[in-house]
Amino acid sequence: MPTIDVDYAEFERLLGVAVQGDMVKLDEILAFVKSEVKLYDKQEGVLSIEIKDTSRADLWSAEGLARALRGFLNIAKGSKHYSVGEPIVDVHVDARLRSIRPFMGCAVVKNVVLTDAIIRGLMHLQDKLDQTYGRSRRKTSIGLYEFGLIEPPLNYTVAKPDGISFVPLGFEDELSLAEILERHPKGIEYGHIVKRHSVYPIILDAKGKPLSFPPIINSNDLGRVTAETRHVLVEVTGTVRETVLNTLKLVAMALIDRGGEAYAATVHYPPEYADVAPAEDVTPDFGSKRMELDVDYANRILGLRLTGKRIAELLLTAGLDVEGVTAKSVSVLVPCYRVDVMHMVDLVEDVAVAYGYNNIEPLWRELPTTGSERAEQRFINIARELMVGLGYQEVLTYTMTNPDNLFVKMNCEKARIVEIANPKVVTLTCLRSWLLPGLMEFLSRNQSVEFPQRIFELGKVSLLDDTRETRTRDEEWLAAAVSHADAGFSEIKSALDAFFANLGVNWQIKATKHPSFIEGRVGAAVINGENVGVLGEVSPEVLNAWKLENPTAAFEINMQKIIKTK
Amino acid sequence: MVELRAQELEILALLAESPEDVTVEELTRKGKLADAAVMRTALTLQEKGLVKIYAKTETILKLNTEGKLHAERGLPERRLINALNAMGRKATLSEAAEKAGLDEQFARIALSWILRKKWAIYDSKANVLQASSTPTEGSDEKLLNSLKGREQVAIGELNPESQDAVVMLKKRQLLTMEEKTQRTLAVTAAGKQAVQAGQKAAAEVVTQLTPELIITGKWRSVKLQRYNIEAPVAKTWPGKKHPYLSFLEEVHAKLVALGFKEMVGTSVETSFFNFDALFTPQDHPAREEVGIYFVKEPEFGDISAYEAAVANVKATHENGWTTGSTGWGYQYSVQEAKRLILRGHGTCLSARTLLSEKLEVPSKYFSIARCYRPEVVDKTHLSEFNQVEGIVVDESLTLRDLLGVLAKFALEIAGADKVRFKPDYFPFTEPSVELSAYKEGYGWVEFGGSGIFRPEVTLPLGVKVPVIAWGLGVDRLFMMRASVDDIRAIFSQDLDWLRRKQVI
Repeated sequence: MPTIDVDYAEFERLLGVAVQGDMVKLDEILAFVKSEVKLYDKQEGVLSIEIKDTSRADLWSAEGLARALRGFLNIAKGSKHYSVGEPIVDVHVDARLRSIRPFMGCAVVKNVVLTDAIIRGLMHLQDKLDQTYGRSRRKTSIGLYEFGLIEPPLNYTVAKPDGISFVPLGFEDELSLAEILERHPKGIEYGHIVKRHSVYPIILDAKGKPLSFPPIINSNDLGRVTAETRHVLVEVTGTVRETVLNTLKLVAMALIDRGGEAYAATVHYPPEYADVAPAEDVTPDFGSKRMELDVDYANRILGLRLTGKRIAELLLTAGLDVEGVTAKSVSVLVPCYRVDVMHMVDLVEDVAVAYGYNNIEPLWRELPTTGSERAEQRFINIARELMVGLGYQEVLTYTMTNPDNLFVKMNCEKARIVEIANPKVVTLTCLRSWLLPGLMEFLSRNQSVEFPQRIFELGKVSLLDDTRETRTRDEEWLAAAVSHADAGFSEIKSALDAFFANLGVNWQIKATKHPSFIEGRVGAAVINGENVGVLGEVSPEVLNAWKLENPTAAFEINMQKIIKTK
Repeated sequence: MVELRAQELEILALLAESPEDVTVEELTRKGKLADAAVMRTALTLQEKGLVKIYAKTETILKLNTEGKLHAERGLPERRLINALNAMGRKATLSEAAEKAGLDEQFARIALSWILRKKWAIYDSKANVLQASSTPTEGSDEKLLNSLKGREQVAIGELNPESQDAVVMLKKRQLLTMEEKTQRTLAVTAAGKQAVQAGQKAAAEVVTQLTPELIITGKWRSVKLQRYNIEAPVAKTWPGKKHPYLSFLEEVHAKLVALGFKEMVGTSVETSFFNFDALFTPQDHPAREEVGIYFVKEPEFGDISAYEAAVANVKATHENGWTTGSTGWGYQYSVQEAKRLILRGHGTCLSARTLLSEKLEVPSKYFSIARCYRPEVVDKTHLSEFNQVEGIVVDESLTLRDLLGVLAKFALEIAGADKVRFKPDYFPFTEPSVELSAYKEGYGWVEFGGSGIFRPEVTLPLGVKVPVIAWGLGVDRLFMMRASVDDIRAIFSQDLDWLRRKQVI
């Protein structure tokens, strides 16, 4: 979820409502756009706002939030209009980019008034768009330039890794594209996006001066915007045309909100692009999208009886425009920045939000359905009750663990288990394949608690299984352990025997070997000739590994196999 | 004159013989009596004014296993310096350690202490250890020596110089300290008198009623000793169900009673059901390494059984298919859909249910599923947690029904006092609703998300009626009910907490 930092005073001014530091009130307002205050740093005057909607990129700036909220705050209904002048820049796209980073959008915004604070806000928006909407620059990336330094038309083309050199932003020396990927921090961070190609994207002006090596880094000479900049050129490159154009609109709007006037650019695509883009793409396009909202459809989803007129009012409150209303349908104009609207149902939600969720009366209806629980679940609960009756305390441990716990400390050979490719911490790297290690760990953490200690866990273990869709299966297993000065084989055998007897299960014990248990004091539990588990005295090696000071006996059985016999 | 029983008299006599006050332990040894019995008798004697009981609380030191080992053989750094001196004051660390008989773990400990105590200089480049002095016995070693072979020692018995050494050994985790109450008995003047007067025991007073007494009828002629029923007894720790699992059982039962059927699945899931079928685009941030756990080996599962649904989902992602949506407008990869992950929410089970041929209309389904996300564990986050997931499928469902289900849940199952709804966002529901519930003394808590499945979710799976869905953090429901404010308490590894936790 994107979190943005905004200047509190600036935000309050843009909002047009005196919040006076009341964060509860501000949260109530922000709830209309699925956002909330995460942090308010009073000293710095900075608000951190979390925006839950990952597809509403139009909200990721103070201006964007204010724009979206003005209807709900009764400041202005309908959308905010943006306009763009005739194209003043041409961009030529090289056909070889089609398989690399095919699309580009471009605009010039003149007479912008920038301050350091505003530039910080812009950079913040640019970063959010690059990271989240642009998927860490894979899908889209943005470049801003001082327009006066650039000679149009622009060429969006390709260059060999060592075919061109320029001074990247923040550096003093010229580097080749390959060197940028090696040495520039942004090259190291984003290089993987282009590295697999034999040529890299590059934007040049009419004189052949590089503007940028997208999506990596701008030129230090042209690609820098300062408080003195008045005319800004914006370009967005990327892999999905719609996302590129949406991103361009959002950046241009932020500059227009700062007093700028936007002028379009004409992006010329080569014939090889005929199936994916028009030959001439005039960007940005601030035109809205027309959608018909069926009144019945909306009411059927909401469970309300709203008239077309009422729905139209609510849509205006939510910041959409309405072209016409009949009893049956509402013609909606979705403003260009509402990039999240994909389906009529998105408009229905806007109606509901404007109506107020808490103004809708909850309804509990008795549908003619019969509840049922799996027979397995009942059996599991009975098994747990039996263990409790035998004096064992139920415990609950994590299913995530590590091979050291599962195997090394249990004196076992490492087996194949469900391992995680991207563990967050070294102690949680796989799913458990048996329960006893968890019980050992539990005992090791309770060495100062009164003995005797008797514990059990009935829970899932995950095992690799190539015959299944998920290449794994989960099984319910049961493990119990008893630990005290006189704990031994007979106590655990007696408990397991009572457990089976009360479930009406006929079992035998067979001598076996198991590296976690003392030889000659370990047995396999066998039902109908099938091995269902193990019981015995835990070996001193294992006790030492877990720093247990008392003799400990334990059993572990596969409940799934026992359920099967029932 | 007071009446005395045989055991009372015996204890009184033992006490009177002794020139000074006697501890309960000593008395037990001398009289060959059971500890509890001595204490009980002493209490009745005190009531009769014949003895006085003094209680003194002392700190008792005990060496643990490692401490005992070092007491026996000497501290690792001492063994290392001795070895080093025997080797001409200079040797490599591993040679010196080997001569000292230290394994790798103790060698490391020995090195760190030998440097801290400035007994030697270590040149880590050359891996050479040079003895700088022949150290005298330190206070920690003296203490260790004095504890050697003894089960326990009261801190008061040690000379004052040892106090620092106690702290040192405690820090090194070689000894444990516990508070212990020592009870001492002293006979009073009246008690002495009673002994001198040659008090005879009142005949036939019996402590333990035996089968023999009952069968022979002898119990009629004996006097059964009165107990001090207020005397403390040993604690009993019954086996109990885990409080959180009991709560889940209850939630389970309530949902079944409300007409829900249970859904089950595996902890490992394909991305198709966890994400794609739920209209989450393949480049969504939740599908990156920071948002979900990936399975290392094998990387991909099998979705060949769902060919038609996969094709519908692919088209829906790319261009909206026939759902009336614009779709996400990107090139969908079937291979990516097969990627195995640890399920990040229970909603994947709902997706499977919607696709199942057995889906009934109307119907209600639920699951209580362990879910996984790469979170840093803190007061409010775990990297694995439980989610109660539910769906209701019926032609007539509206947003009002969704709010109704949520309210029912919070008020009846979590025991909340009131509820509140807020707009929320999920790629797979629209409208989406966040449920918050309030409980007096606990405050507002966000429980999770819900909504009506988007047409982009239901239609590709072949479902043409509305489906309301919710996935609530059942862990938080429990926390509210049990008034626990740290989510880690759910997986508490504290046996004492479990033992003391009330069952209601």
